[in-house]
Amino acid sequence: MIGGVLAQAAVPRDVGVFEFLFGAEYWTGAGGILTSLWDTVVLCGAVMIVATLVAVPLATVLAHHGRGELSVTWMVTLSRAVPTFAIAGLLVPLSLRRGWGFEPWPIFIALLLLAIPPIYLNTYTGVRGVDRGVVDAARAMGLEERNVLFQIEVALATSVMLVGIRVAAVQVVATEPIRAFLGGDGLGRYVRDGLGQNNDNLLLAGAILVAGLAALTGAVFGLLRRALPPGVRRIR
Amino acid sequence: MKQPKFRLLLIVVAVFALFAAACGSDDDSGETATEDTTETPAEDPTETPAEDPTETPAEDTGDSAAAAPEGPTIRVRGQDFSESVTIAEVYAQFLEAKGYDIDVLTPAGFRTEAIDGISNGDLDLIIDYIGGALSALAPDAGASADPDAIVEIIAPLYQEIGATLLDYSPAVDGDALVVRGDYDATTISDLAAADAVFGASAACFERPQCFLGYTDPDIYGIEFADTVTIEFGPLLGEALSAEEVDAVVWNTTAPQIGEQGFKVLEDDKGLHPAQNIAPIVVNSVLEAYGDQLSADLNELSAAITTDDLVAWNIETDINFRESDEVAAEWLAAKGLI
Repeated sequence: MIGGVLAQAAVPRDVGVFEFLFGAEYWTGAGGILTSLWDTVVLCGAVMIVATLVAVPLATVLAHHGRGELSVTWMVTLSRAVPTFAIAGLLVPLSLRRGWGFEPWPIFIALLLLAIPPIYLNTYTGVRGVDRGVVDAARAMGLEERNVLFQIEVALATSVMLVGIRVAAVQVVATEPIRAFLGGDGLGRYVRDGLGQNNDNLLLAGAILVAGLAALTGAVFGLLRRALPPGVRRIR
Repeated sequence: MKQPKFRLLLIVVAVFALFAAACGSDDDSGETATEDTTETPAEDPTETPAEDPTETPAEDTGDSAAAAPEGPTIRVRGQDFSESVTIAEVYAQFLEAKGYDIDVLTPAGFRTEAIDGISNGDLDLIIDYIGGALSALAPDAGASADPDAIVEIIAPLYQEIGATLLDYSPAVDGDALVVRGDYDATTISDLAAADAVFGASAACFERPQCFLGYTDPDIYGIEFADTVTIEFGPLLGEALSAEEVDAVVWNTTAPQIGEQGFKVLEDDKGLHPAQNIAPIVVNSVLEAYGDQLSADLNELSAAITTDDLVAWNIETDINFRESDEVAAEWLAAKGLI
């Protein structure tokens, strides 16, 4: 609880939206925008890394062997049906009773379940969608099965995978603020405090920050896809 | 060819109108009800939730003659938490049994929305906590533990928005700084040396009678080790039990305080305002009914006690019973209906 205008978790009522967003004193210190941003980015980054590590290998192997077509249908349904807030909200009391605290497990698991379906989906369809002719040609040229998987299928599916990861990342970043309503902080804190304190300026500023970060995330992944070699990029 | 097409159109319009009527009636049934009848005569939004036990005002023999009071419909709405909903039901069912025309709206919003409803004519009766009303209407006025002192400040402010604050009830649901039963503190001042982690809802952190007062060097001057913002409600108790936080701001009638063996710290410097409940009625309605309405409301307010509030909350929050049932039972047990 040292320093910072926001250390007390309350922003003065008369601060305007732009004054808040462009005021250096609101960015630094405890409870400042930078701290909140960092909290959000760290959590989202961790979720995305774990989600990618789970979904990509699983989907790649299954798609390579042509197994689990049904899992794709399941994932499509799941990606629409996961009630993130409800899951996190139900996990919080459980986590508290076990002595694990408010964070990070409940929100982490809820976001993970949100992130996995789009990545899995795109990876699976991406790998399955690689031209069979190319795969057969590779096999005919004497490539080992392992190399067919990595050098042909995964390589050609990279672009589609990235799209899935991008969708997941944007969703995760845009959903992460619910953690502020479950005993945590992060960028959602301004939305929460704005609502709780009837401070519309703060609420709006918080919403702008969250939307801005989500848009930025989308843009970064867009650039990343552009950085792929042209041959890989073109195949979608 | 024309006939079926026209019929289809009619059906589509009818269905749409039904939806519109059903949705619209949530806010102000008074206005939409008249529109409904022209399009879908069958549609009759049943707003008032199951007032079965009160349906028989025949027993109303003893007091104030049999003459049913005549006047406009009284629209009453609880705030969106169980205690306020039960209180609204108690007042509504009591008045209904007396023969008043009552419309209980779906609970929505909190104090701001309730006061807005009174000032813009959507509501006719609200029941609020006077200390809370003070912080909403006169944020800069110093808090007082004396209810009369608070009433002196807020009664004129309610008059400014065209409403009258009636007599407050002895029932109090005050602010409470709550700690675990075995925590080494009995007064709020004791926390100054405790290096405690503080938990409260977002609203507390900007209120002088809450976080700002606890940390103000001129009042309590507590330096908390950390603060956590927690949604107001049962999660406060969960966080306290889990030792994630050491002190939370709750209300004195929260049933979990007794159920989970927490203790309320004594407000030794008198920071918390008095929080008696009191009905607020729109002036036009009050005048239409004359003295009878205020007399009836005052009679009910005087009959409610703090223990009743706790008992209601145990029923609704621990036993998960419906507010209207709890209200009806209490009124019947007290012989008020």
